[in-house]
Amino acid sequence: MWHEKDGCERFDELISLYLPERIKAAVRGIKHEYLEELEELRIRAGQPLMGVFAGFDHFIGKDGFLSDNPQFALTISSKEVDNLFMLLCEHSVYAYQDDISRGFITLKGGHRAGICGTVIYEGTVIKGMKDISSVNIRFSRQIKDCARDVFGYIVRNKQDIYNTLILSPPRCGKTTLLRDLCRIVSSGTGVTFKGLRTAVIDERSELAASYRGIPQNDLGPRTDVLDGCRKREGIEIMLRGMAPQVIVVDELGANHDPDAIKMAWNAGVRIIATAHAYGLDDFKRRLNVGQLAAKDGFERIILLGMDNGKRWVKVIDANGNELSGLVKGDRMPDGIHGMHSFRDEAFVKSGREAACIIKTLGDPA
Amino acid sequence: MEILLNLKNRICSLGIPLHAAFEDIGTDKTVELWSEIFLNCGQIMKEQRLDAGSAWKKVISENRGLLPLEQADWDSINDFGELLGKSDRLNQESVLDMARESIALLEKKAEEAMKTKGKLYRNLGALCGAAVVIVLI
Repeated sequence: MWHEKDGCERFDELISLYLPERIKAAVRGIKHEYLEELEELRIRAGQPLMGVFAGFDHFIGKDGFLSDNPQFALTISSKEVDNLFMLLCEHSVYAYQDDISRGFITLKGGHRAGICGTVIYEGTVIKGMKDISSVNIRFSRQIKDCARDVFGYIVRNKQDIYNTLILSPPRCGKTTLLRDLCRIVSSGTGVTFKGLRTAVIDERSELAASYRGIPQNDLGPRTDVLDGCRKREGIEIMLRGMAPQVIVVDELGANHDPDAIKMAWNAGVRIIATAHAYGLDDFKRRLNVGQLAAKDGFERIILLGMDNGKRWVKVIDANGNELSGLVKGDRMPDGIHGMHSFRDEAFVKSGREAACIIKTLGDPA
Repeated sequence: MEILLNLKNRICSLGIPLHAAFEDIGTDKTVELWSEIFLNCGQIMKEQRLDAGSAWKKVISENRGLLPLEQADWDSINDFGELLGKSDRLNQESVLDMARESIALLEKKAEEAMKTKGKLYRNLGALCGAAVVIVLI
């Protein structure tokens, strides 16, 4: 995950800037080969420190030793969680109160910290959170060129692309792929494809990962970012003010999303979007958004999955015809995956929920 | 007082993190000594990842000699940073309003003390003058 130089630097920055001393020491003690696969750090008051490595949970000891036994792990105190929360907020809770009421804080370097505690309501609106009990730090990973192979399938001609929908179960890399597609569409690929003016509606601040207004990820030179804005309002604002050729949105699913997408299509703007789904049929069954995959809807569907640490990508057209059968060779490095190969057969086979469910449903074609 | 208004604007209206708000105020050299204190406090918060209360106390203790204040005044100034940054904008507004009231009170006390002491020294001066005259006669 941290093969790219900037990824390493961003990870180090995160460790030194935000983590309290004991947690910092534990994370720094993790063997490099495992650290490369660290996706999430889960810090809960009164509970053992836990990391998610290439999709697998492991408890982390005070010296960085990984174990499946919580007894060997570093136990986090509630004071440490408080301290971590204040460090994440730069000791300025008010500056992050909008983020906090949405349940996460975007950090320098594009990483994100999900937070849990006691929710404070003002009428029916969440005003904030107090007594923070757990924090989940998700490490941002911009993998440049990960969409290079797929990109060719969504190009209509050198100045246009197809309306494209990326579907996958959670944690299969939808947002990572979308981010890179956005970067390539905006940058262009030279003579074969000129870059297009791209607008990103970054409702959950995950694509650009803007930190105090500055995108932490590279989304290309022709990209404008509307951060923290709902898709419907965002699309309207962008159409009105920025004249984009392509609009990029993450995680379709809200009731009013189809209207917003159609509004863009009516204005002649292409859409690249993602949605949680186990396949095209699953998406079509969804209330409201399902209609976007019908005739005159999305023209290219990119399906993502993972099978025993091996990611796969398929591109199909709106009728379900397969255009590609790319199996990406980015199997997780031997570290964590090797650890799991010593386990019982059932556990190893389970791999990831995503891959299993996709297989069961028999979709994609 | 002007500094507190400035700080309130940066915190409550603009939502700038404390260390940056302190540094912004510190670079404004209208009230030189306090500017220095705010600047140092902002830098300590940023570099040492300290909360406002600890950073403020640290800077104040280092600069005690520079201000002609009494112990009680220092005690109330010392606690200024304690509640900063720990709550939402609305609460921060109250915290800063309280700080302004507390400083206004300090100012009033200082003025009264100045008046009382001024009168005392004037009377003392007159008495000394009279004593000198008596001695000379």
